[in-house]
Amino acid sequence: MSGQAVSERIRTRAERGDRLKAGLALPLVLLAAVAGLALFGPLLSPHDPTAQDLLHALEGPSLAHPLGTDHVGRDVFARLAHGAGRSLGIALACVGAATGLGLGLGLIAAYAGRWSDMAIMRLADLMLAFPGILLALVISGFLGGGVLPMLIGIKLTLWPQFARMARAIAQGELKEPHVEAARLAGFPARTLLIRHVLPAVLRQTTTLATLGLGAAIMSISALGFLGLGLQPPTPEWGAMISELLPYISEAPVQMAAPCLAIFISVLGATLLGQVLSEPDSGQEAER
Amino acid sequence: MRPALTLLGSRAAQAALTAWLLATLCFGFIHALPGDMALRIAAARVGDERVTVETTERIRREEGLDRPLAVQYAAWLSRVATGDLGQSLVSRQPVRQEIAYHGRFTLGLGALGWLVSYLIALPLGIACGFAPGGWLDRVTTGIAVALASLPSFLVGIGLISVFALSLRWLPPAGYRTGAHMVLPALTLALGLAAFSVRIIRNAVVEVRGAFYMTFARIRGRSAASAFRHHGVRNAAIPVATFAALQFAYMVDGFVVVEMLFNYPGLGELLVKALLARDVPVVMGAGLVIGLVYAGVNLLADLACLALDPRQAARFPA
Repeated sequence: MSGQAVSERIRTRAERGDRLKAGLALPLVLLAAVAGLALFGPLLSPHDPTAQDLLHALEGPSLAHPLGTDHVGRDVFARLAHGAGRSLGIALACVGAATGLGLGLGLIAAYAGRWSDMAIMRLADLMLAFPGILLALVISGFLGGGVLPMLIGIKLTLWPQFARMARAIAQGELKEPHVEAARLAGFPARTLLIRHVLPAVLRQTTTLATLGLGAAIMSISALGFLGLGLQPPTPEWGAMISELLPYISEAPVQMAAPCLAIFISVLGATLLGQVLSEPDSGQEAER
Repeated sequence: MRPALTLLGSRAAQAALTAWLLATLCFGFIHALPGDMALRIAAARVGDERVTVETTERIRREEGLDRPLAVQYAAWLSRVATGDLGQSLVSRQPVRQEIAYHGRFTLGLGALGWLVSYLIALPLGIACGFAPGGWLDRVTTGIAVALASLPSFLVGIGLISVFALSLRWLPPAGYRTGAHMVLPALTLALGLAAFSVRIIRNAVVEVRGAFYMTFARIRGRSAASAFRHHGVRNAAIPVATFAALQFAYMVDGFVVVEMLFNYPGLGELLVKALLARDVPVVMGAGLVIGLVYAGVNLLADLACLALDPRQAARFPA
């Protein structure tokens, strides 16, 4: 390869890296804003997010209440900030649990093959065929709302995608010479899968997990909005919106705040997932 | 014909499996719930304060809750299989009747929303596909990404505050007139169009770059004629496949949209039943939604088969 061609390649690679960095800026800023709200918001606000003050209900923004108060006089900023931690925390837990379950089952399907592969993938198909929120809805509804039912419900809707991806990559990886060598050297299946196959799968997991995070935040707020998620008076964005809905004309700022918070966090996660899933960007990011 | 029949068979199996899973899930939930089932039914019927031991025991006998679990499960399955979904625990109406009543509203809303979404997405997606990277394409992509990041209740609230509260053109909620359907249908449509516009755009871009299009042009067809004769059908395949996938989004959408707009469809029935722990209604509504979903998938598969005879190879008889 001539020197010129090499420098050409280096240049385009650098350019692509720059483009990737530029694409990462917006989603990272959006997510950092939400994470900042979750971490520092509760420290900034002196108010208890569940303390009612009926004499000061539905007041507009002021120095004491930067985002105003809701229909029972609770500080909206405090509720927003406490809600941020909950939404993000639960969403991360959902995605983490779904990733664990999905990767585990996907690896088993790829390694064991035959009927366990069939059974796991059929189950995944069935779950994917099932309208997403319906399952979360039914589980949360029957178990009476709260964190755990929501976690189970959302995890169940997310895992099949991870399982499919893990299985596809693991099937390819298991045929690789270095895995074959490890197998011939007598390593047990567990070592084979965890040491040699899992790393390849994990490299592709970030994108799916990021997109899943956005989906989980949306589901959590939708469940909260329907009254089937976290139970009042817990501050949660979706629940805040449905509580304030009758007062939408009197309290536009209080209403807009949680709406914007949901939008920013989902947009951040979605954009990040899109940037990461663009061809080349995965390898570029590793270099 | 053979491929169509194979397809029908596999989709019917999928539907049956979905139904069985749902029925079993619901049965499992009823019995896994903490506390006494008969007591909960009694509380739902007469109110928490007026429940007595006698009513509870009477309900336990009436609903067969004193029999062994396996017997109850068998009885439950055979009843569901024959289409008997039981009575609502709250309203005491047959579940089938409730679903038929609310289902009509959802069907109307869903059909309208779906139609409007393609009225928006088709022209826009095709226009973007003909000028990828142009200003229209970039603006559309931006809006589509933003819309896709909004849960449907936020889109709905935005529409309510603009068209119902500020402009006062349309009623914010309810279902008495046709005007009441505009905002919920538009909410659904925007959510659907946000995804389908990208699919349509990409399908058009791909088809326009395809070799058979170049060949048609070489043979002397005009660009428009080549697209009409070779492009449309090929571009329609991914769009038809995606239209079925969108049904899943629609279910998420209409549950939330109906609650937001106070629209008496299946979604509202489902959520209210969940809040009241009205198990037969939950199961009935879930069952109907699941079965319709399997049906929609079948329709999309058949449409693909009609559009693309090559796909017959996918379904060996």
